[in-house]
Amino acid sequence: MTVAAISRRRDALGGSRTGRARIWLGLLGLLGGLAIAIALSLTLGSNALPFGDVLDVLRGGGSPEARYVVEELRLPRTVTGLVVGAALGAAGALIQAFTRNPLADPGILGVNAGAALAVALGVAFLGMRDIAALVWLAFLGALVVTIAVYVVGSAGRGAADPIRLTLAGVALGAVCSGITTGLTLSDPEAFEHLRSWNAGSLLGRGFDVLLPVLPFVGIAVLGALLLAPGLNAVALGEDIARSQGANLAGIRIGVILAVTVLAGVATALAGPISFIGLMVPHVARWVFGVDQRRILPVSILLAPAIVLLSDVLGRLLIAPAEIPVGIVTAFVGAPVLIALARRAKASAPS
Amino acid sequence: MLSECDPPLPQRVLAWSIATAVGATLALAGCAPTSQADAPSGTAAGTHPVEHARGTAEVPAAPQRVVALEPVELDTAVALGITPVGAAVASNVAGVPDYLGVNGVQPVGTVPEPDLEAIAALKPDLILGTEARHSKLYEQLSAIAPTVFMQTQADPWQENVLLIGAALGQPDDAKALLDGFNERCDRIAEEFDVHGKTVNLIRPRDETTLSLYGPTSFAGSALECAGLTIPAREWEDGLQADLSPENILDATADYVLVTSADPADDATIPPAITQNRSAFPSVTLVDTSYWVSGVGPKGGDLVLDEIEAILETER
Repeated sequence: MTVAAISRRRDALGGSRTGRARIWLGLLGLLGGLAIAIALSLTLGSNALPFGDVLDVLRGGGSPEARYVVEELRLPRTVTGLVVGAALGAAGALIQAFTRNPLADPGILGVNAGAALAVALGVAFLGMRDIAALVWLAFLGALVVTIAVYVVGSAGRGAADPIRLTLAGVALGAVCSGITTGLTLSDPEAFEHLRSWNAGSLLGRGFDVLLPVLPFVGIAVLGALLLAPGLNAVALGEDIARSQGANLAGIRIGVILAVTVLAGVATALAGPISFIGLMVPHVARWVFGVDQRRILPVSILLAPAIVLLSDVLGRLLIAPAEIPVGIVTAFVGAPVLIALARRAKASAPS
Repeated sequence: MLSECDPPLPQRVLAWSIATAVGATLALAGCAPTSQADAPSGTAAGTHPVEHARGTAEVPAAPQRVVALEPVELDTAVALGITPVGAAVASNVAGVPDYLGVNGVQPVGTVPEPDLEAIAALKPDLILGTEARHSKLYEQLSAIAPTVFMQTQADPWQENVLLIGAALGQPDDAKALLDGFNERCDRIAEEFDVHGKTVNLIRPRDETTLSLYGPTSFAGSALECAGLTIPAREWEDGLQADLSPENILDATADYVLVTSADPADDATIPPAITQNRSAFPSVTLVDTSYWVSGVGPKGGDLVLDEIEAILETER
């Protein structure tokens, strides 16, 4: 990296007064967008309830059908969408900054594959069918595989660097996915039940499942925000980061912990929801520049909005049935990803 | 492994001479015994031609070693008194369905992905499959034994039973089984006189989807033939309609049947129904293994048994 490049980057990180105003406007816009997404998620669905009925429920009244649809289905799935979206957004931003790879996805450390394998094992060998219990199993699987990735990635000399971690993550992830596929194919009947989990779904996760995982997500999101300045230093390359006094080992462990918790909880709750963790931080970098102190909060606000809007789309497209949100995000995400890849020059890290 | 008995393409022979040499050896080893067994039976008097979805097959008059790749083929064979030596199963874990009450049927892979090696190892003299599912395997299967394909597993199912009866050399018995089923159905309709009463058969797929079965489906046709009415809606091919839990109240009926892998466990009723219990006065769990997968005369009899029992208790 040349001196000119460093000074360019410093300009980008510093931000002028007008730049700061733009960011506040942007954040306000994001909050507004998120509020709209929440409102839509509560009012629209495959059951075309009149708007007035939904309002009645929110005021504490309403018909039994409207109460069931809004209170038992739309409210918990909206909260699930918010939690999952925020977690995926933060995890994606962390992993892209940490690996200095703008096309990295939270799944790159094997987290999703580990969660899926744990669920498959639970279904195949323990006969588990209850989403509430599977959430914890999935979380455990994510944790175990990440630890394994870290151990494999840091074997031999020195500490685990992002490249070796990524290789270990992809390799172990492939192993896990292979076993999961084998289990699924050998007992399609038992796994049919998990179809929507496998595709990514927000439905059916009640507050009894959501509330216990909330503190984990909260702490991890907070941790992600605290890691942002350190990640800015990492973006300049390890040597420069070290010379600036960044605690590389601390940042590394912090990132891995946070990504594991965030991606693990998101996958445990909703199954593998594709593209969000990849796409959203990318868009955030594209619009708001390379400063992680902006990318992280923007991702945390933008991702849940996109998850909720995708979910609403999935409810409306084939009513009276539904398309799981994970399939919708893939449909929405693929074109966005192609557009982003085509302008790769603008979003390359340095 | 699936390509063991595949005739290799000419280019492949050139490019992969060593590989194909090994493959050919395997193919000889894998397919030789059955093709030898095939040759004499083709000329012997004990065969008869069966027209099916892929043409005409010379089938032994009284097949002894049948492999069934489709549930309706397994069920019909058992109903006709022939226990197949092998059957493709819905689940490798659950194996051959219990409701059939047969032992010694070797599982040969899953219904969508049968295991050719396991089939060949059983040295069958007749293989029953489905064009819609196993089309690509036909050449390889018929290299193992005479193979009869029904066109599709999609209902209505009774035509398929007749074809399977013909393939097994018992066309009249198959016809008698169907007549028996249909007459019993009519008797139930007369006895209970549930004219105008509605019924919905719900299969909970997962959190986002509940499938309702239509009047053309296996169990749906049994319910209608017993005199009940499945409320009209937009069916996919007359078979199924998917609902989001948001629309669960569209699935109400005088009788609601919910399929379950464990019908004794009330916890398998989906929350969409338990949370709206007042809208569902009569909910009965029924066994998925024959209400959904048990297409055929045996499964059909069990379905009618349960319909009778439900109507009896609710009379």
